[in-house]
Amino acid sequence: MLNEIAMTDKNAFAVAAAIYGGAFAFGLVALLMRRVYPRAVMFALLVGGFLIQTLGLNLRGAEIKACPLGNIFEVAQFIAWSLVLLFFIIGPAFRLRLLGFFTAGLAALLAAGVFAVPAWDRAYPPGIFGGNPWIELHAALAIFSYGVFAILSLVSIMFLIQQHGLKKKQFKGLYQYLPSVQQLDLMAKRLLITGVIVLSASLIFGSIFWVNNHELVPVFKLTATCLIWLGYLTVFVLRIQKKLVTRRHAIATIILFVLAIASLWPVQSARDSESQATGAPLRVER
Amino acid sequence: MSDVLQSLFVLGTSHHATPLDVRERFALTQPQALELQQRLHGHEGIRECLVLNTCNRLEIYGLADRIERVDEIRELFCEKQNVPIELFQQYAYSHNNLEALQHVLEVSTGLDSQMVGETEILGQLKQAYTKARDAKCTGNVLNRLFEKSFQAAKAARSQTGITRGQISIGNVAVDLASRIFGQLSKSRVLLLGSGEVGEKTAQALKSRGADDIAVSSRTFENAHKLAHELGGSAIDFEDFKAQLEHFDIVICSTAAPGTILDRSIIAQSMKRRPERPCFLIDLALPRDIDPAVEDIENVYLYNLDDLSTIANENLTARKAEIDNAREILKKHAWNLWLQLRRRELMRNI
Repeated sequence: MLNEIAMTDKNAFAVAAAIYGGAFAFGLVALLMRRVYPRAVMFALLVGGFLIQTLGLNLRGAEIKACPLGNIFEVAQFIAWSLVLLFFIIGPAFRLRLLGFFTAGLAALLAAGVFAVPAWDRAYPPGIFGGNPWIELHAALAIFSYGVFAILSLVSIMFLIQQHGLKKKQFKGLYQYLPSVQQLDLMAKRLLITGVIVLSASLIFGSIFWVNNHELVPVFKLTATCLIWLGYLTVFVLRIQKKLVTRRHAIATIILFVLAIASLWPVQSARDSESQATGAPLRVER
Repeated sequence: MSDVLQSLFVLGTSHHATPLDVRERFALTQPQALELQQRLHGHEGIRECLVLNTCNRLEIYGLADRIERVDEIRELFCEKQNVPIELFQQYAYSHNNLEALQHVLEVSTGLDSQMVGETEILGQLKQAYTKARDAKCTGNVLNRLFEKSFQAAKAARSQTGITRGQISIGNVAVDLASRIFGQLSKSRVLLLGSGEVGEKTAQALKSRGADDIAVSSRTFENAHKLAHELGGSAIDFEDFKAQLEHFDIVICSTAAPGTILDRSIIAQSMKRRPERPCFLIDLALPRDIDPAVEDIENVYLYNLDDLSTIANENLTARKAEIDNAREILKKHAWNLWLQLRRRELMRNI
C-alpha cells in the first residue's frame, strides 16, 4: 500500500517540517499581536505535520526494512516525531499554555534543520541492526527518550522565561500566556523521571546485545551514550534529593539536551568510520 | 406621538464631575431607588424608566412623551432628596436620544467607570434592569435598549483590550500568584498585619480559590477578627516566623517601623521547601520585608510600588483602547437607534 503513495519519504519530511514551521509562525504572529492563538488550530496543524511525518518514517522504514534510525537525518526526524507525539499526550492532559507553540518551533527546527546538510542523510549498510529486534527496540527507545528530553528542555525554557518575567517584574507579552512556574517545574520533574526510565530501559536492552557483540558497538558511541545517561541520572538523583531544583534544574536539563543532540553527529561519524573500516556494503544512495 | 423616541433620555450624576461629598447628598439606598423608580413611572408622561444607583453614579433612564419632562424629573428628585435644584443642576448631566443610547452603551462597557473597563458596572446595570423590568417600569424601548447594551458591551470587550490586565492592587497580586502557582486552591496564605490593602488583597486571593488563610497581627484580637471575616485562622505574632515555611503566599501590611522579615529568615524557610515557590507581597510603608530576599531562589517579592506600577500600566493600556471601543459602540448605538425608531414607527402604524 505504501508503494502506491506518490510522495517520496523526503517530500513527506519536508511537508511535515513546513507544517510545523507554519504552526510556529501562526503562534508567533498571534503572540506578537498580543492575542492567544486558538489551541484547536495549533493542535490541528501539529496533527497534520505529525501524520505526514509518520508517513515519511513509514516510507523510509519500508525502504530499509527496519526502523529508520540509521543516520542523523533519520534520528532527527524520529526525535521530532517523538516530541510531537509526547505533546499530544501531555498537552491536552495538563493544558500547559504555549507548549504547542514551543513544540512546533523545536519540531520545525529539528525536522527542517537536518535538510541543511545533505551528508546527514547518507546511505548506510543494510541490516544496520543485524536483524536483531532487541537492538531495534534499544534504538527506538533511546531516540524516544531523546523526544522526552526534548520536550523537557522546552518546558525548562518556558520555566526560565516565566521565572525571569516574575523576577524582573515583567507582566506583558509572552509572560502572561505562559503556565505558572510551579506547573512547569512539576512537569519538568515528571518528564525527567519518564526520560530517565525510558533511556535506562533502552540501555538495558542495548547491553544485552553489547555483551555478545561488543566488537560491533563503536567505543565512542557507547561512551557518549553512557555519559548522556549518567548526566540525566545525576540530575534525576539530585532532583529527587531536592538538591537541584527549579532554575538550576531547568538549566541542567537544557544543557544536557544540547549535549545529547550535539553528540549525535560524532556518534554517527564514528559508526560510519566503523562501517567503512569493516567494508560493509552501503545502501543505494537516495 | 409618532416621534416618541425623540424623548429618550438619561439624567444623572457620576464620579466624573461630582465630588464625593456632593454625591453623598444625592445618594439613595436601594429601597429609595426603587421607590423613586415607581414614583417616576407613575408620573404623567413617563412611559418607561429605570434608576441606576451605584456608589459612583445615580442615573435615571427614561422615555417620556416630551423632552421637557426631564425638568420635572429633576425637580421631583431634588424635592425628594431635599437638595437645592441649583446644586443638582451644577453637577448633573443629561443626554437625549442617540446620545443617551451611546451613553448607556459606554456605561455598560465600563468606559465611563472610574476604573476603565471594570466589569462590576455591567452586573449592577443588569441587576437594575431586572428589577425595573420585573416591576414593569420598563417597556419595549428600554428593554431592547438594555438588552442590546449588554451585547454591545460584550462585543466591545472582546474586540478591544479594554478589560485586559488587572487594575487593582488585589487583582494584580492575584494575577501574579496565578503566574507562580497556577490554581490557588492549594496555596496557603499568611496575612501579616491588619492593614486595609492587605485585607483586600487576601480577599481577592480568597475569591480566586485560596481558602487556607491565616492572619497574624501584633494585636491578637485584630488578627482573630480579621481571620473570622476571611474564614481563616489566627496565629500568634510571636509564632509566625516558625511557621513561615508552611505558607506559599505571605502578605505583609503591618505598621512596623522596620523590616520584620529579613533575608536569613526567608532563606531558612526556603531551605525547608526548596521545590515550592514563595510569593511575598509587601504592602507596608515602611517596608516589612528586606528587599535582599529577592535574590533567594524561588522567592518572588513584590512591594506596593511594583503592584501599583503594574496596575497603572494596565490602566494606561486600557485607556489607550477607549477610542477603539467607542467606535465599536457608536456603530451599535446607531444600529440600535434605527431599530428602535423602526419599531416605534411600526407600532404607531
